[in-house]
Amino acid sequence: MYRITIDVGGTFTDCLVMDGEGTLRQFKSYTTPRDPSQGFLDALTKAAAGYGHPDLGAFLGQVELIIHGTTLATNTLINRNGARTGMITTKGFRDIIEIRRGFKNVRTSMYDVFVPPYEPLVPRHLRLEASERALYSGETLTELDETETRAAAERLKEKGVEAVVIGFLHSYADPTNEQKASAIAREVLTDTYVTASHEILPVWREYERFSTAVVSAYTGPIVEKYLRTLVARLADEGFRGNLLMMLSDGLVETVDYCIPRVVYLIGSGPAAAPSGALHIGDAIGTRNILSVDMGGTSFDICMVQDGEIPTTTEAWVQDERVAIKMVDIQSGGAGGGSIAWIDQLGLLRVGPKSAGGDPGPACYGKGGTEPTVTDADLVLGYVPADYFLGGEIALDADAARAAVSTVAEPLGLSVEATASAIFTTVNSYMADQITEVATRRGHDVRDFALVAGGGAGPVHAAAIADLLHMPQVVIPPIAATYSAFGMFAMDVGRNYARSYITRAKDLDPAHVQELYQGMEAEAIAGFAALGVDASDVTFARTADVRYLGQFHEVEVSVPSGAIDQAAIDAALADFHKRHRQLYTFDMPWQQVELLTFRLRATTPKAPFTMRGIEAGGPDSSAALKRRRTVWFDGEPMDTPVYDGALLRAGNEFHGPAIVEETTTSVVIPPRYACRVDDVRNYVLTRDGAQVRGTGTGDAGAQLVGGAA
Amino acid sequence: MTKADRTGAEAVSTGRDIDPITLSTVWHGFQSIGREMRHVIDRTAQNYLIAQLHDMAAGIWDVHGNTIAVPEGPTSMFLSQGFTVKYIMERMGHTLKPGDVILCNDPYKGYCNHLPDWGFFRPVFYQGELLFIVLTRGHQLDTGGAFPGGYFPNGYDIHAEGIMIPPIKVVDQGVERTDVLELIWNNVRWPEGVKIDNYALMAALQVADDRIVALLDKYGRDEVLECVDEMMDRMERSVRTQLAAVPDGTWSGESSTDDDGTVLDEQVTVRCDATIKGDELILDFSRSDGLRKGFVNCTYSSTYSRAVAGSFLYFDSALAEFHNEGSMRAVTVIAPEGSVVNATYPATVGGSPVNVGTQVLEATVNALSKAMPDKAIAGWGRRRGHYIAGIDPRTGERYVQTTTDADGGAGAVFGFDGYEGALGMSGLGSINRGSVEEIEIRFPWRTVKWHFVPDMSGAGKWRGGCGMLWEVENLGGDVGAATGSSDGDLTQPPGALGGEDGPLSRMYIRKGDDVTPARTHRMVQIRTGEILGKVSGGGGGVGDPFERDPERVLKDVIDEMTTIPYAKDVYGVVILDGDPPTLDAEATRALRATRATA
Repeated sequence: MYRITIDVGGTFTDCLVMDGEGTLRQFKSYTTPRDPSQGFLDALTKAAAGYGHPDLGAFLGQVELIIHGTTLATNTLINRNGARTGMITTKGFRDIIEIRRGFKNVRTSMYDVFVPPYEPLVPRHLRLEASERALYSGETLTELDETETRAAAERLKEKGVEAVVIGFLHSYADPTNEQKASAIAREVLTDTYVTASHEILPVWREYERFSTAVVSAYTGPIVEKYLRTLVARLADEGFRGNLLMMLSDGLVETVDYCIPRVVYLIGSGPAAAPSGALHIGDAIGTRNILSVDMGGTSFDICMVQDGEIPTTTEAWVQDERVAIKMVDIQSGGAGGGSIAWIDQLGLLRVGPKSAGGDPGPACYGKGGTEPTVTDADLVLGYVPADYFLGGEIALDADAARAAVSTVAEPLGLSVEATASAIFTTVNSYMADQITEVATRRGHDVRDFALVAGGGAGPVHAAAIADLLHMPQVVIPPIAATYSAFGMFAMDVGRNYARSYITRAKDLDPAHVQELYQGMEAEAIAGFAALGVDASDVTFARTADVRYLGQFHEVEVSVPSGAIDQAAIDAALADFHKRHRQLYTFDMPWQQVELLTFRLRATTPKAPFTMRGIEAGGPDSSAALKRRRTVWFDGEPMDTPVYDGALLRAGNEFHGPAIVEETTTSVVIPPRYACRVDDVRNYVLTRDGAQVRGTGTGDAGAQLVGGAA
Repeated sequence: MTKADRTGAEAVSTGRDIDPITLSTVWHGFQSIGREMRHVIDRTAQNYLIAQLHDMAAGIWDVHGNTIAVPEGPTSMFLSQGFTVKYIMERMGHTLKPGDVILCNDPYKGYCNHLPDWGFFRPVFYQGELLFIVLTRGHQLDTGGAFPGGYFPNGYDIHAEGIMIPPIKVVDQGVERTDVLELIWNNVRWPEGVKIDNYALMAALQVADDRIVALLDKYGRDEVLECVDEMMDRMERSVRTQLAAVPDGTWSGESSTDDDGTVLDEQVTVRCDATIKGDELILDFSRSDGLRKGFVNCTYSSTYSRAVAGSFLYFDSALAEFHNEGSMRAVTVIAPEGSVVNATYPATVGGSPVNVGTQVLEATVNALSKAMPDKAIAGWGRRRGHYIAGIDPRTGERYVQTTTDADGGAGAVFGFDGYEGALGMSGLGSINRGSVEEIEIRFPWRTVKWHFVPDMSGAGKWRGGCGMLWEVENLGGDVGAATGSSDGDLTQPPGALGGEDGPLSRMYIRKGDDVTPARTHRMVQIRTGEILGKVSGGGGGVGDPFERDPERVLKDVIDEMTTIPYAKDVYGVVILDGDPPTLDAEATRALRATRATA
């Protein structure tokens, strides 16, 4: 039997297959944007052939599980080609999603006023109103006017909307009016994708809730159509196993669960990477991981401490606020395709403009002339001209040099020195972003091991680690299918949330108990539908807590079991401690407020081992493929190049060195030694590094309810 | 030295031999420290203005008062704070020790803005040497004085506006001077809340100190200091090059506020004469009105901040986040002492960040838009704030409530309509709006309506962001409201390049159908069950409205942002009513031609 993960990205569809013995094989096909299910099946067909099955059906019959990540929701949002979406909202409040709390352009300086105004996903004439009003207490001030609601629905039908959002004030406290309105909308607008804000995010703050629901509806129809097509085609081809979707919160779920909640698929692929990184981290016995995924146009950073994958509810996706809980991945605009340029100050800059996949870097020979990071990597000898993607694409070294020379001239540097500068600039930028993430979380980056994936990650990882004085870097052989790998290491489960806004002194533990019982019952019912027994479901409880008066919450653990005062006190003790850790101070004298109670329900992930490679001694000379000149720190060095497929577990060599894998090139700079582990991870250690912080981490930081 | 000499000499050769990568890395390091400081404040503060609306700032200076990094925030809070740093260094430099924190809010002894904006300064030492000063500043919930919040008219003098704190150590080598802090907190309302915000601001300083020391550890003292100087010089060179490319000349701009809150209904006007001469920019406010009895007077440092911020908008957008002392060196701000743009003790200044402060920025932009028409910028919708003080019947606790929710949108710029929803030109979009649900949970008020109002923006080839209707109901207890952070009942944000000014705003108190007008810069009473309503004007327009793309006008009509009669009268665009409305292109051409020949 096989298990498969498929990550459909913007350019490539990555497919990883694990056989019964835990051996992984990678397959790649081109993504087919018009109907991504085609690229999906192409990848499976390649895999079937790879395993000697001329018939896809025969192969699929042996596949028990496919876990799927897709960039479709994200790209629909970014490319603004989603559904024609309407909205019915509380009378008097139709502009909440356009006023959007006054946020100007989210990512440019306040001193840049020459920016186009935000265009809402639902234009104003498709935002209609109905009389109704709920209060924060859950009371209904005004019953829903069903006649107005029906008229609004009819009007939206006339206007040909493909999706509708129902968004009412305080619907998190009492969803009755939203429920009634969505029932009417579903009745009037048959074959239309209808979403109510409380169904997506039953949490206070209307702009954030509405915006999230609007993103869900806007991306909903396209993703729904794709998923239904995919399910049908897979069934036609003979697939009888389970298809699970990768969610933005790092969990996986069924297709049926996702279809009404498509916003949960925003960032679906990249959200898997940290789980994979954690699994890889086990190879060197650390649970403190900095996951870096560097692709063609961007890089993603995620900092995992003590094995805890961080989440956030504060993400912006492009110019849209998405407030569901998502794996906290910081994305930066630097990748292999990022273009180098010289600014007004005479400084070299790299990105955010990217050559993308088409024309791509100059060295792709598809008409690009501007210097990209990949061109610099080629000039420096990090990437082989003749073995890019295992030789599938021949790179044009002259075109790369010509492109780089366009910025070399104004800088007054040689082509190689300029390529070095581009390489260092992009690495410094990433190192800077990493430092910012670390500081925000109160971590010292040197206590973490860097795990790198993505096409460009293995080329840049060690240089970034060097800048940050990080002692260890791990590069997995599946770096090029990093997110797909992460999906093997996923938990199956769901996140639940309920708002109960109260001061700690007035909190009724019995009410919290009820909230958790409600969420747990819902979770157990959900899992039962998946055929999972209640006894296999694990719950983790948290609460959003703040000092009275503050506007941002800290998420703290809530003990399992019956909720009594002692349990609440334990959560509060955790809160003070966490606040101090994050912000350097706490205020035990100040009243505390609790707002949202959260539950994460998971089942243990399926057991998962990887088959080891053949063992060898430290001597790696048998795998030496060739030698070539590679530039490090501005100097040319005669550098050994190893064939990744020939390396043996236990092989050791010191930088400078290059390992050529079919899908990527691993660069080991002079200050790092490399050891090949038993599943062919490349474990790089900085010279003289004191490897610290590995293993258990700071036990004190894990205080969970023990203080009471 | 003539200006031409300066282009040729100082600006061009910096003479330092710095690796460009280190330069860029150190520079980004400072930028990111600024953002992290802001993040800590944002996360931990308890005051609506600081944590939600982001009326706060952070920055880094060298010991000579040179501005190194100025992250996002209201312009008045930090661009001039080099003055304060110099003041502190002169008076207290020899007494500073690692771990000290200095508090200051005094506009006259410390170059601050107005009393509620408390600034916390911390010296950053490295190996025993004082190298940098970091600042965090935020609008406090209260600063004492006759009415909460600081934006109230008719103080006898500045002492009536609140506690005045000259630069004073509140933390001595890491040890809190509790007696000093208790004295200060004892003079404000809601000391518990103010205390939290003070700790939040000080925590951010600690974070900055740690991060700067780490940066120095990594690159070394000399290298970091050289990078700082080099970036200032490069920025100066770039700004001067850009100024030199603009033909020399003088352009004038002006803007007025409704009144000074004491002498009622008499407008107060700020006038800016902007001169570009070679590679220098001189912003001269000498023709502005004299010092006022009322609370709208700006200190020089406030005027300086606004004027400099206005000039930044005209420089290369790609450098927008890099501005530093170098950018400021090319700009001279002249404001005569004893005028409304350079207040002298003991004049009241409480309302100046909104009134007169905004006008300084608008007048600057009004003048520079004439100098650089391809970068024309209109004024933004006027602020429509208030401070309401009352007792929450649900808890029996005193509260103060303020808001930015009703403010109109951004002004248009050459090439783009004004940003809908963005507010407050003096914050340039760094200040946010609240949440209906949050306000209802926090305060005994309920929002009744909140939406755009059609035609409430300055028309233009590019129109301003729209104004709004905002109504809130008082659910408990008769309250007083100070409307000092409002403006625009009588005066308008200027349009540019033939674009219209932003419309007038109004405010009222409503009980059923019984509507009583309320005015800016006053104290008003709102009884239980009454509704406070505001209709704000949006931003000004840029360019002739008759040049607006008729398709854009049609889109606005379909979206009910523009009405059909208005489209015809103001834009010369004929729209046929229908479902959907359609454009009568021929009638539009004819109508537009009539005016062209008229």
